[in-house]
Amino acid sequence: MIRTSELKSFAREATAIVARDKDVAQFEIYCASGDNSIARLNYTSDIPCRGVEELKSHSADGFQIRIVTKRNAHEVGTACEAGDFSAEAIRTVLARAYRSTIVDPHFSGFPTEPRKLAVTKLEKSDLARASDVSLVDAAWSILRGAIGAFARSEVAARPHPALVVGGDVSVFRDRIAIANSNFADIRTDESAHFSSSVTALIESLDAKGTASAVGRTVADMRRVAARLGREAAGRALRMHHGVRPEAKTYRVVLGPQPVAEIINYMILGSLTTGAFHAASSAYHGKFGAEVMDRRLSLWDNPVLRTGAVIRAITCEGIPAKRIDLIRDGKLVGLMSNFYDSHRLATDEERAEKLGMPAEKVPMFPALSGYRLGEGGGRRFDQSPGSSGTNIVMKARGGIDDDAVIRKLRDGLYLGRVWYTYPINGQRAGDFTCTVSGDSYVIRNGRLAEPIAPNALRINSNIENVFRGMIAAGKRSHSAIVWGSSESFHVPAIACEGITVAVVGKGEDKPPG
Amino acid sequence: MSRFVHAHRGVAYADVRFEVMFHRSGAATNGEPRDSTETESAGFCVSVHAGAGNSIGHGQVGMEIGRLGLNEKKIVAEIRRGLEEAYNRARISAREKAAFLKRFGARAGSLIGGAFEPRAPIRDEVAAVYRQDPRTLDPEDLKRITLEASREVKGLGRDIAFNAVAATCELRHELFVSSEGSLISQAFAFSQGDVYVVAQSGEGHQESYDTIGQQRGFESIAEGWREELLANPSLSAFAVGLAKEAQELAAAPVLKPPGREVTVVTDPHFNALVAHEIVGHPCEADRALKMEAAYAGRSWLLRAIDDNEIGKAVGSPLLSAVSDPTLYGYGHYRYDHEGTPGKRVAHIDRGIFRGFMNSRATAAALGVVPNGSARAAEVYQVPLIRMSNTFFLPGETPPEKIIGEVEHGYYVCGHQIPSIAESRENFRISARRVYEIDHGRIGQLYRSGSVIADSKRFFMSVDAVGNDLSLVAIPNCGKGQPMQVKRMSNGGPTLRSRAYLGGG
Repeated sequence: MIRTSELKSFAREATAIVARDKDVAQFEIYCASGDNSIARLNYTSDIPCRGVEELKSHSADGFQIRIVTKRNAHEVGTACEAGDFSAEAIRTVLARAYRSTIVDPHFSGFPTEPRKLAVTKLEKSDLARASDVSLVDAAWSILRGAIGAFARSEVAARPHPALVVGGDVSVFRDRIAIANSNFADIRTDESAHFSSSVTALIESLDAKGTASAVGRTVADMRRVAARLGREAAGRALRMHHGVRPEAKTYRVVLGPQPVAEIINYMILGSLTTGAFHAASSAYHGKFGAEVMDRRLSLWDNPVLRTGAVIRAITCEGIPAKRIDLIRDGKLVGLMSNFYDSHRLATDEERAEKLGMPAEKVPMFPALSGYRLGEGGGRRFDQSPGSSGTNIVMKARGGIDDDAVIRKLRDGLYLGRVWYTYPINGQRAGDFTCTVSGDSYVIRNGRLAEPIAPNALRINSNIENVFRGMIAAGKRSHSAIVWGSSESFHVPAIACEGITVAVVGKGEDKPPG
Repeated sequence: MSRFVHAHRGVAYADVRFEVMFHRSGAATNGEPRDSTETESAGFCVSVHAGAGNSIGHGQVGMEIGRLGLNEKKIVAEIRRGLEEAYNRARISAREKAAFLKRFGARAGSLIGGAFEPRAPIRDEVAAVYRQDPRTLDPEDLKRITLEASREVKGLGRDIAFNAVAATCELRHELFVSSEGSLISQAFAFSQGDVYVVAQSGEGHQESYDTIGQQRGFESIAEGWREELLANPSLSAFAVGLAKEAQELAAAPVLKPPGREVTVVTDPHFNALVAHEIVGHPCEADRALKMEAAYAGRSWLLRAIDDNEIGKAVGSPLLSAVSDPTLYGYGHYRYDHEGTPGKRVAHIDRGIFRGFMNSRATAAALGVVPNGSARAAEVYQVPLIRMSNTFFLPGETPPEKIIGEVEHGYYVCGHQIPSIAESRENFRISARRVYEIDHGRIGQLYRSGSVIADSKRFFMSVDAVGNDLSLVAIPNCGKGQPMQVKRMSNGGPTLRSRAYLGGG
């Protein structure tokens, strides 16, 4: 990886070169260095395997130049380059940016505020320097935990127990430097975190257990590696020979992972200025209105001290700070980047799209303008999109997780879902997903029989989950969603009227 | 490569993939320009298998190096550095594995997999197919084409709330070098058009998106392509067609599901997603061998090595499905990213399940010959087992006859969103359009409909297969950790079967 100081120095050099170009009115230089290392678990007791797949990594260093020409304040060009941080590369990219110019009448320039950034001291993660040995060791440690826990069970003695342990330990590191012609300084940021997700399947028992963690230090990674495999295998052992509840509409407790998954796939995309402009938000025409239960609030906090990722600035150079999205059930904020903020503010249809008089439409600050690649690291070649960092949901009057289950009395506890998709488009809010593990029947306010994995499919709508809430936990648990750039801190939620269909074993049936 | 292998103790295998790419794209929204980019990039991936004691470990390093690719000395230096790092990773992993085997003994007996069967080296060179070299495409042409298409869509009326039209043209040149002596050069041209439309009418709204794509020059998108298997109109006609359909759907009623199993006739575009989710993914050997269990799931076609569907009926005798990289679909290639020649893989032959797409390691685990299906989405990523052109084979019945024979049922057209169970043993796939069929005639149009079925039951119930095979370009199949997004083709002819329907 390239050091932050080197990125900054390059951004300064590029600034000097681009500023000298007589046809450039405004410009932005964005440099990023990213690295993602992954040790992937692949243990199958009954099939030849490698245990831990190759330790793999992907590094990408590069820069992007955006220019606005003097000819036209809306004529903008973008180009980027990987690997080469030389003066010649700057000139090549500048020429390419000229070739790529378009006249976009809605392009309003680059951020101007603050002109000089107050220095923020954020704690640096030692994962930035973590060695390959620590990552490989963490992966094998997870396997040792899982197989050790499994070996102590009676199932292990059977001829074909069919234990499967999958998942990964991943370390994400990124560094950026950004300059633009409106800023008086060159801004930098860096972050590093790990995530680990472990799935243990005992196929002879039709059982599945999972465990996951995120963190910011090597010590955390070592600590969670020692327990995650054991936890996942232990959960799978407790889930054996689950029942297959009938298809109908249930009262349901959604555990933190399903809540995070539904927020990720069904809610966040609707809470952006881009979605409102495209008339594709599930909250179309409902800005300022109550869209969730009054006890629920949702926000993104990139500077959350306990968050897996801490970001000091966005990828547009704007100081990162908390943005409230839902407050006491009302839709009060949207994630946005600089372009989309301006685009929605000047959208002639904004009153209809937001559901409020045009003169009352607020200016949405560009607090979520990140340039992220697959998996969430900052990349030099991405355009600014609107993404969260640490998504937090809290419930006013939240109760202990056990009390949530007691309050439901009879129904289902769904601890893990898979493949959540907006089945009829984002705006409709309809979704479907499969209940894939860690789930139980709730009887008389207690967890009763485990539910077989992949036996139920939820067919519902976001309204049923977030407006039909009975109770929520007071504790927000961290949760990971596969492929998501955000990390989640969410409670368990009990809700009315969640329709489930029975799937698998050739008995696929929608409810009644 | 040969110097590296000789200089490092315990190297069992190593390979290097190197790629240079030229990429140009443009986009317009609501009839106005939105984006234009030109990128040249280069990257590589090295993979090393090395032993320590009695165990083999694996290491990989992927890097994007951009313009350094223009400097031979720097490329060699970076690749050499990557090989050293991958070798060290392989050795660390091998040591950890040896310690693990010592601790768990016979209980870790399955930890023996992953060794490659040795094979003869291959040397070949494959050229890209295009009329106009993507590097010579005038950026103004690409901007103009997307802008005109977006303007035409906007001009359809105020009920088009939003539209976005994007176009991409790429030239990729890959080099594969292995410690076994293989040296394979392959070039690919990719051209793609993407359209997204939101239409609204009264209380109804419809979001539709679709893609056209060819492994050819941009002329195939700008002017359209008429080849029978993977045909497409021009980008502008495609965008307008999708938008008109969205307008019609926004005004159509939401499907009220009948609540019982019904006859469904599914069109080739809908069947592309069935082939993708229910045949293609479960036929990936890494998934079948539980290597994807924590992410994308397992396969309904293999429960255990000795308990699987190979040789058994999984569909009606009318149903056959294959993956065929040799065809010029969007998933065409000559060699995979392990240097294995790609070939047609029969998955379902007249209802009988025949086998999986595989890599060298999974082929060894299954005791079969590698069939060249291991491919990475980007050069710096590790190869996974991926679909190429995966589709249902055609029958002999004209689609009109298949519909005409239905007394009451539904004609399901155009795929939208899949939702599938973990092993893909059942599915709910939403369609863009659902028509009621009444006495052999197509009637009322509905939106927000979906097909819900048990996979095997759906396939076993197929009682008619059309003669109208066509493929669809799939631009964004996600798999792996970190996620790799890959292009491919899926498709099939019109099918008739039985299923439940879901509504909005």
